Amino acid sequence: MSQAIEDTAPAAVARPGGALARSLIGGLVTSLPVLVVGLLILNFAPTYYTFLALGAFVNLIVVVGLQVFMGNSNIANLGHSAFVGLGAYGVAILSTPLAMKKLSIPNAPFGFATLELDPVSSALLALLAVGILALVSGKVISRLSGVAATIVSLALLIIVHSVFLNWTGLFKGNQAFFGIPKVVGLPWMMVMSVVVIVLARLFKDSRWGLQLRASAQSPQAAAALGIDARRLRLVSWVLSALICGLAGILYAYFAGTISPKLFYFQMIFNTLAMLILGGMATVTGAMTGVIVLSVGLEFIRSIESGVTIAGIQLPQLLGLSGVALGVVIVLCMAFRPSGISGRYELDELLSRFFRHAK
Amino acid sequence: MDYALQQVLNALAFGAEYSLVALGLAVVFSIMGLVNFAHGEIIGVSAYSVFLAAALGLTSPIVAVLLAIAAAALAAIAFERVAFRPVRYAPTTTGLLTAFGVSIVVQNLFMLLISPKPQSVSILNGLNQMWFFGPFAVSSLQVMELIVSGLTILALVLFLNRSTLGLAIRAASRDFATVRLMGIRANRVIATAFAISGALAGIAAVFIMARRGSVSPDLGFSLVLKAFVACVIGGFGSLPGAAVGGMLLGFIEVGLLVALPQEYGGFKDALTYAIIVALLVYRPEGLLGQRVELGDKEI
Repeated sequence: MSQAIEDTAPAAVARPGGALARSLIGGLVTSLPVLVVGLLILNFAPTYYTFLALGAFVNLIVVVGLQVFMGNSNIANLGHSAFVGLGAYGVAILSTPLAMKKLSIPNAPFGFATLELDPVSSALLALLAVGILALVSGKVISRLSGVAATIVSLALLIIVHSVFLNWTGLFKGNQAFFGIPKVVGLPWMMVMSVVVIVLARLFKDSRWGLQLRASAQSPQAAAALGIDARRLRLVSWVLSALICGLAGILYAYFAGTISPKLFYFQMIFNTLAMLILGGMATVTGAMTGVIVLSVGLEFIRSIESGVTIAGIQLPQLLGLSGVALGVVIVLCMAFRPSGISGRYELDELLSRFFRHAK
Repeated sequence: MDYALQQVLNALAFGAEYSLVALGLAVVFSIMGLVNFAHGEIIGVSAYSVFLAAALGLTSPIVAVLLAIAAAALAAIAFERVAFRPVRYAPTTTGLLTAFGVSIVVQNLFMLLISPKPQSVSILNGLNQMWFFGPFAVSSLQVMELIVSGLTILALVLFLNRSTLGLAIRAASRDFATVRLMGIRANRVIATAFAISGALAGIAAVFIMARRGSVSPDLGFSLVLKAFVACVIGGFGSLPGAAVGGMLLGFIEVGLLVALPQEYGGFKDALTYAIIVALLVYRPEGLLGQRVELGDKEI
């Protein structure tokens, strides 16, 4: 990590425009594998795999969002699925057709029962709601030390989940919220993934990202240089929340049905394991982790539901995927805390490779 | 009056349980800076051992209590040996995420090997009776929770203040490197801390089983989340802070239960956490937290 900072810092000082272009291109290069996988699935895969891929893309956006905060501030965030949920419920409440709303939330307060907006303005308003919650919670979290901030992020998750469950007039409680217009397909999901990856990369390489990473490594040294770590943590918290909220919005728009339990601990486990396996210091790591674990988990789930091997029907093995996720986290932390990708982004790895090849 | 007394007893009993679990977290954190998310699964191991022993024919409640405490202490030591030793000198976030991973693994192992559904355990139900003091009816479990927690905390304080190993533990929580230079074995100090933490979890497990009469894979998870919150309001790493934070949490919860109308009862947890987050705005380091409590840990 310190090596990476030494690599990028002089360039950022010498040629601000050049550094911007470099991290923009870097972000685009990083998102190339995602585009390739997406295009392959779009053109060749059967419908079932397209559906799986859409889920994986949502996870990708969540994990990239998580990376923006965790990777730069090095504080574990265990509450990000609250923002995913808020984004999803935001568009569900705003954009569901009135006929459907009569069935699901006829008594919604604040006139939401008689409101139907187009998908784009719903999405913008949902992002606004996510941003406000992020700003308020971020004010608290950015003041705390690392451990306390993690616990408070968990408390935030529980608060939001409990509101989804108990404010039945608005969020429909434990039941599924259905009838959300299905307006997002794989192409939109790919575009948004690329945008988010580039955004995360730009933030990481920006002045703010660099200062935040420095303050995560040595709070005292960074403070002595005049870096306001609190403000930077707040900025990255809000950006991370907005990206997670966007993931929730996209999920609601492709699945059409959401329920509170989707945005609770299961999502936290999955996305956290993906980020850790891939390596949280880099955007490339976020992407790698999502690709590897999405494939791996799908394989494990097929065993979990009971497979037939050589004519013998194995029993259902509920909990197997959970064990696998946990083992991935523990082993990664013990043997390779920096994850698969380590400290280099894909474009940095490629350029090193070609420099050595010459 | 009767009602008020009953609610105060409720709050004290809840608070005592949170304090026990929070103390277990704080003992480990203060020494090695590990945020032990797997503490709930130590409670789980303890509860499932009693469940298995009962299924195999154990009938004595006293043996069950001893088994619960021993199993929890052993589980805590085993977790440390297998999972936490490799990340002992790693940054706090690494340890936290490792513990989170252990918690997921063990919770899912309960699901995989035993059952995702709650299993009934009736061996400790005898602890939960109604006692009558003149006009008052009190739950024996609540009285026991309060007394046992009080005694346990007293024993812990005596151990930490009077014994050599306790002194080493307290010193290690300030400056581990120097304690090792004094010729104290790191592994012994840490194993003892985990054993204490586990024993506290085992006592909590006995109370949980006596109250619920069943075990389930996520038995300890939500309790430990609350205990973490108790640690944070008390001041992370401070032992008195953990005890005070646990009590405060008990009083906030019961207060909300009394104050909230029935139809808003579901918001109890949300409001509890919201109140605590609001407290942290004014005292980010917790009520009793001080930099010196953190010792050599950088968080």
